[in-house]
Parts: sequence; C-alpha cells; structure tokens
Amino acid sequence: MASTLILLTIGLPWAGAVLVWLDGNRRPRLQNTLAVTFSLAAGAAALALIAFPSSQTSFRLPVGGIFGDFTFLADGLGILLAVIATGIGSLAVIFSIDYMRGEAELGRYYSLILFFIGAMAGLVLTSSLLLMFIFWEITALCSYALISFHNDDPKAVRGGIKALIITQVGGLGLLGGALLAFSSLGSYEISELLKNAHTLPQAALAWMAFGFLAAAAAKSAQFPFHTWLPDAMEAPSPVSALIHAATMVNAGVYLLARFYPAFEGVPGWKTAVVLVGVVSALMAAVMALFADDLKRLLAYSTVSQLGYMVYAIGVGGIFASQFHLLSHAVFKALLFLAAGAVIHAAGTRALGEMGGLGSAMPRVRIVFITGALALAGIPVLNGFWSKELILENGLEHGPVWGYTLMLLTAGLTAAYIFRGVWMVFYGSRRNTHPLHDAQPAMQVALWPLAVASVLTGLLSGPLGKLFAATLPFHDLEALTTRAILIDILEAPATWLATGVVVMGLAAWWFRKELAPVFRFFLWLGSPARNSFGFEDFNRAVVRSTQAVADLLRHTQTGYLTMNVAGILIGLVIILAILAWGG
Amino acid sequence: MTLSMPSILLVGIFSLFGVGLYGLLAVRNLIKVIVALQVVVKAVLLALVLAGNLRGQVPLAQSLGLTVLVADTVVAVIGLALAVQVRRCLGTLDLHALASLRR
Repeated sequence: MASTLILLTIGLPWAGAVLVWLDGNRRPRLQNTLAVTFSLAAGAAALALIAFPSSQTSFRLPVGGIFGDFTFLADGLGILLAVIATGIGSLAVIFSIDYMRGEAELGRYYSLILFFIGAMAGLVLTSSLLLMFIFWEITALCSYALISFHNDDPKAVRGGIKALIITQVGGLGLLGGALLAFSSLGSYEISELLKNAHTLPQAALAWMAFGFLAAAAAKSAQFPFHTWLPDAMEAPSPVSALIHAATMVNAGVYLLARFYPAFEGVPGWKTAVVLVGVVSALMAAVMALFADDLKRLLAYSTVSQLGYMVYAIGVGGIFASQFHLLSHAVFKALLFLAAGAVIHAAGTRALGEMGGLGSAMPRVRIVFITGALALAGIPVLNGFWSKELILENGLEHGPVWGYTLMLLTAGLTAAYIFRGVWMVFYGSRRNTHPLHDAQPAMQVALWPLAVASVLTGLLSGPLGKLFAATLPFHDLEALTTRAILIDILEAPATWLATGVVVMGLAAWWFRKELAPVFRFFLWLGSPARNSFGFEDFNRAVVRSTQAVADLLRHTQTGYLTMNVAGILIGLVIILAILAWGG
Repeated sequence: MTLSMPSILLVGIFSLFGVGLYGLLAVRNLIKVIVALQVVVKAVLLALVLAGNLRGQVPLAQSLGLTVLVADTVVAVIGLALAVQVRRCLGTLDLHALASLRR
C-alpha cells in the first residue's frame, strides 16, 4: 500500500504535467482544472501516506551496475516534506488560477510547477543517494525555468541563470558525497551510510560531511551562497511561495537533518553548521530591514528563517528544526501568496509605492498580518512554538555566542516584518492604481494557510511521535503536544525571547522617538543594500571565469589534426597514469 | 620466439590502426579523413573479434562487432553528407579551410 501511495505522490503530478502540456494552451480553463485536479490528488496521496509510516524500504527498482538500486521509503521526515510539497503545491496552483489569468503559455507554467511538485516529493521519499541527487537537480532545473518564466525580461533570465549556477556548485558537493559513499560502502542506500558511518575512514567522512553542508547551503540559500534567492524573486508570486519559501529551499535543511546521525561526530562539522545558520540568519535579517521591495524583503526573511533551522541542526535539535520547517512553510507561503495578491492589485513590488492599501484589501491585510505575527514569533501562532523550541535547544546545547546572536535576530525579525506591514497596508497612499481585494481562487488558497498558521503548533506531538517511530538512527524521544507546549511555556528562555521580540516591535513603533539611536546604525544601510559585498564577489567570479575562458580560446585552433593529436596525447597520459599507478 | 596466429593478427591490427591514425593526423582532404577514420574503426573491430575468440566468447564478440559495424556505417554516411555541405559552402574540402568556422 505504502509503495503505491509513494508512486502516486510522485507520479500524479508528473502525469498532470504531461497532460497540461499536451493541451498546448488552447483551453486555459481545462489547463486550470487539470493542474488543480492532479496537484490535489497528489496531496491526497501524500496525506494518506501518514497512515503508513515505516523505517523499512517500501520498494526497490533494480537499475544495476554502478547505479545500484533505486529505493523508496516513507519515514517521518519524508512524509512531512512530501505533505508540505504537495499540500502547499496544490494551494499555489489554486492561487495561480486568478494570479496567472490571461497569461500566455499557461501550459509551460503549470507543467513546470507539477513537474517540480513530483520531483520534490521524490527527493524526500527516496532512500537512494544517487536518485536523491537526480531529483535534487530536477528541482533546481524547474526552479530555474520558473524564475525565468517571463523569458522576455532580462532580469528574470539573469536571476534564473544565477540560481541555477549557484545551486549547481553546491549540487557537486552532494554528487561527490554520494559517489564517495558508494566507493566506500558499495551502496547508495542512505540507511547503510547512517548505520556504518563510524566504520568509514575519518577523511572520507569529513569530505562527505562538508560536501553535503555546501550542497545544503547552496540549496537553502545560506551564507555564503545566499545571493541567488533575492534575485529569484522575478518569478511569479505563487512560484516564489511554493519553491522559494515552502519547499525547494527546505531541501538543504532536510539533507542536513537526514544525515545528522552520520556526521555529528565529524570534528568541526557541528560548529560549521551553527556558524552558517547564525551568519545567514543575522545578515539576512539586517538586509531585510533595509529592503525596498516587498518580495525581496520576504526573500531575505526566508534566508533568515532557514538560518534558524540550520542553526537548530547544528545544536542537535533535529525535531525543532523540522517543526520550524513546517511552521515556516505554512506562514511564509501565506506571506508570499498574500504579497502576490497585493502585487497583483497594486501593480508594483516597490514598498515605496505602496502604503495605505489596507482599507481597500481588508482580507489580504488580515491574512498577511497573521503570517507576519507567526513570523515574528508572537504567542499561540505556529512560529512562536517552533522558534522558541529552537532557541531553547540552542541555549541548552549550543555555544553562547550563537544563542545571543539568534536572540538578536528574533528582535530584528519582528522589526523588519512590521516595517513591511506598515509600508504596505498603513500610512497614506502613494499611487493611484485601482485596487481590488483578493479574488475567489486566491482566497481559497489564503484562508487555509492563515488558519494553519494559527494551528500547526498543535501538531508537534504527533509529528514527534512519527519521527521517533520511524527514524531509528536519530536519537529522538516522543512527547505529547501538551508536554512540548508546556515545556516551551515554562522555559525562561521563551519569555526572554518573547521580550526581545516585543522590543523589536517597540523599536518599530517608537521609531520617531528612537530616531537618534537609529541614525547611529544607518551606516549599515549601504552595505546591507549591496548584500555586504557578496554581489561584488559574484561579479568578480564571473569576470575571472570569462577571462580564463578567453585565454583558453586560443587552444581551439579549429584544425582537425590538432584535435586528433590532442586526443592521442590524452590517451597516452591516461595509459601512463594507469601503468604507473596500478 | 614462435609466431602464433593471434600475435600475427595483433601485429596486423596495430599496423592497420597506425595507418588510420597516420591518416587522421596527416591528411587534409576531408574525404580521405573519413576513409582514415573507417580504417581505425575497422582495426578496433578486428581487435574486438580477436579478443572474443581468445576469451571463448565468440557470439558476444560477433554481436558487439555487428553493432559497431552498423553504428560506424551511420558515422561514415553522416560524415560524407557533411563533406558535401562543406564543399558546397566553402568551395573546398581542405580541412584548414574549416578553421574559418571558428571565428
């Protein structure tokens, strides 16, 4: 049964992708219906998987030779991410009905989204490292194609290529790690790696651990690979909500959580993970404070929140990180979709041209503020529970500097998101574009997410139980929801953090009175807007690559005989190495 | 040293391969290059059959050989078709004239 459901979760979106594509943009209504039907069906299949959790391989597809067996497995981690991918995927598709109305090439749009949903489900449900890498790259490819969906806009094309190249660099780490695992264990099976990690040579394990960390950082837009995510905001808003907030960027965190038992013993690895998380969270929060584009603000906030999850893994809080992943997927998808509704109505993404939109779009205001409260970590919303759990883990098991900086980030988070809410919905109107509230299909997508932002904190108990039952290599204990929530409420760290959050809010509220203090920090503005020099670094890499390529051009003479001679020399060198080495 | 049948064949194969390789490196006429390529591939084909014979896997070697033969024919045909187009576009079959495509 479980194997059928796994196949359906991956196969249904892909089947839908083919069908939508076959329509050839002749009947947009049919395309809408097909996309919604197939994504909802995949969501149902993923939800049904919850009833069949297992730590054993469900089915294997023998491929043979060096490719090993392609195996699938539905354990707690996989089911959680598959449900998020298909569930939020369905809502994003529903939202697109209104958001993308009248666009040409709906077929390309929907098939890429459906293709992505299937690949994302495959990525988290497979238990073969090689197959995981293949799905990993398919999601990157879909992300690239959807960022550049408006391919007559040079900014969109540039953003897509940037995302593809940077995630590709990290992907090499995953491929290298997978090949290394195969060469030392003779299998791509993830459970084999987790079981036998301590028998591997230290050097090989360290290479794998840091290769996977690079892959995760690139995919989850963490320091120093974070620069692609803000530029990916050229994608249509539902795509940003689905791929660049709720699912694909979580793949990095998923990877770290999945392999944590194998790598926790590698010297320096946990510290490196904490460092990556803390630097990303803090730096992105500062950049969000100075952002002047609504979607870029949310993108920086995503980097910052993913930093929280990475930090949680670094201090050993696997459950806390995945709990926050769930909360974040829900409230950030909500924020992005609500931002999409705002952008659809206001016709601009610039925060400076918004303001005073609240009275014309009351429903969007309510859901956006719900998401913002959850993001800031205000009590009883889901972000509160999961963020406090992370901070509690950090205080108990992590370094003090990490905890202090994350606490500061919590305050900054509250400040930047309320600056955003204020600039969009309150104050005086700064443009005269005719406004409209969220349309019906948009509301169908927004309300469930808003309700979920309030309630998913209650899922902590069942989620913990699912994890403890199906992840034999992770050292997890199952607590009831009640126990977890009371534990959070009774921890002094919680009230310290909530105090900092309230201070962040107050800092925004009393910004006029505090202006002299803020003026002291204004020097941060200009480096923050230039992403602290990382864009210059990227440009330097591109320029030097082009310079080297120009130099190497001279070796391409265009004479066939030279090429044959080159092949011969290469052959001789390889034979010499083989003779010498073996 | 006694000359066994396989070693005689091996010498033949290597000479054939060398002739083809020399052609690839030295000849400038595109048609002749394609002929040289064919000679190289035929040498490899013979080596394949010989290896199959020595290892006692004659059927496997034969089926692989046939596959190579078919694929190689396609290569030759496409190469010749390209040569015709090169002649049409550049007015010559000289390989060095092809370097003008680089710019």
